[in-house]
Amino acid sequence: MEIIEKQSGTRPSDLIQALALTPQAIHRHLKSLLGKGLLERRGAGPRVRYFIAGKPQLQQVAGWYGARAAPSESPPDLICETRDSFAGRLPRLTKTGLSEDDQSLVIAAVGEIGNNSFDHNLGSWKDAPGCWYQIQVTGRRLWICIADRGQGILKSLARVDPTIIEAQSALTVAFEKILSGRAPERRGNGLKYVRNIITGSHHRGLACRSGSGLVDYGEFGMECRSELARFPESEGTVTLIVWSLK
Amino acid sequence: MRVELKKYGQILTSRPAGREAALAMKATVKPADDETIELDFDGVLSVGPSWLDEVLASLRAEYGTDRVVCLPTRNPSVIESLRVVDAP
Repeated sequence: MEIIEKQSGTRPSDLIQALALTPQAIHRHLKSLLGKGLLERRGAGPRVRYFIAGKPQLQQVAGWYGARAAPSESPPDLICETRDSFAGRLPRLTKTGLSEDDQSLVIAAVGEIGNNSFDHNLGSWKDAPGCWYQIQVTGRRLWICIADRGQGILKSLARVDPTIIEAQSALTVAFEKILSGRAPERRGNGLKYVRNIITGSHHRGLACRSGSGLVDYGEFGMECRSELARFPESEGTVTLIVWSLK
Repeated sequence: MRVELKKYGQILTSRPAGREAALAMKATVKPADDETIELDFDGVLSVGPSWLDEVLASLRAEYGTDRVVCLPTRNPSVIESLRVVDAP
């Protein structure tokens, strides 16, 4: 389990090599762990890989988010370069096994976060425009990751409130107080809405990282926090949401 | 006068989309002087507070706060959106 947790998908051959066990023994163990719901198998034949059930795969987005220079890899199916492209992909959330009420809330929350990327970074992208938008379903949990290589929440809010001087308090203000980085426009309630949704019921969680700041909300917020804590520090913003499908 | 929001889409998020919807409503919705404008959320899957804020602010500025009414709905995203949009 430890080996599988460290790798981004483990092949049986990796385990045979690492543990010096016979293929039969490894496959027996894997079958038992699959049966207990601790692992998930993806792919088939020689391309089969095993993952920890219920954990998202975030190595790719972490690499994109934390790249010092313009990221070399920008998968077109995960990057939304424009707001229209992001809006066009929001309905994917209707195919994840959520109830209609939960679809309504998740889509609205994810819509606020993704649109924030465009609202606050148009003309200020570090290099790659747009946001990373990825949905994963694993272990009866829906994980949604939205990341951008923008200017970050601190820079955006410090323009309207110069007393905000560090990333942690900027994130807290963003999620807990009505203050917009686009003043004098009347804005600033989107992330409060997202927080209300996440904390409004059990089995939900969210963490958001921007610069050196990191906040989490909801029952599963700590799980999201520990995933984002592994991301390299970057000026941009990354949000991870988890929603139970039970 | 009832405005069926499903005609503007099943998923209503983002301020630019809300502004555009409000402009379209003002161009087509022509209520009598004392008539209320009733926003009907039936058939809409999800509404974000940014979209709703733009629409309500624009319609209320044009017709007055009392004449713009959100019809009762069980859609949780609308209920939550109204909580933050109309928060004091």
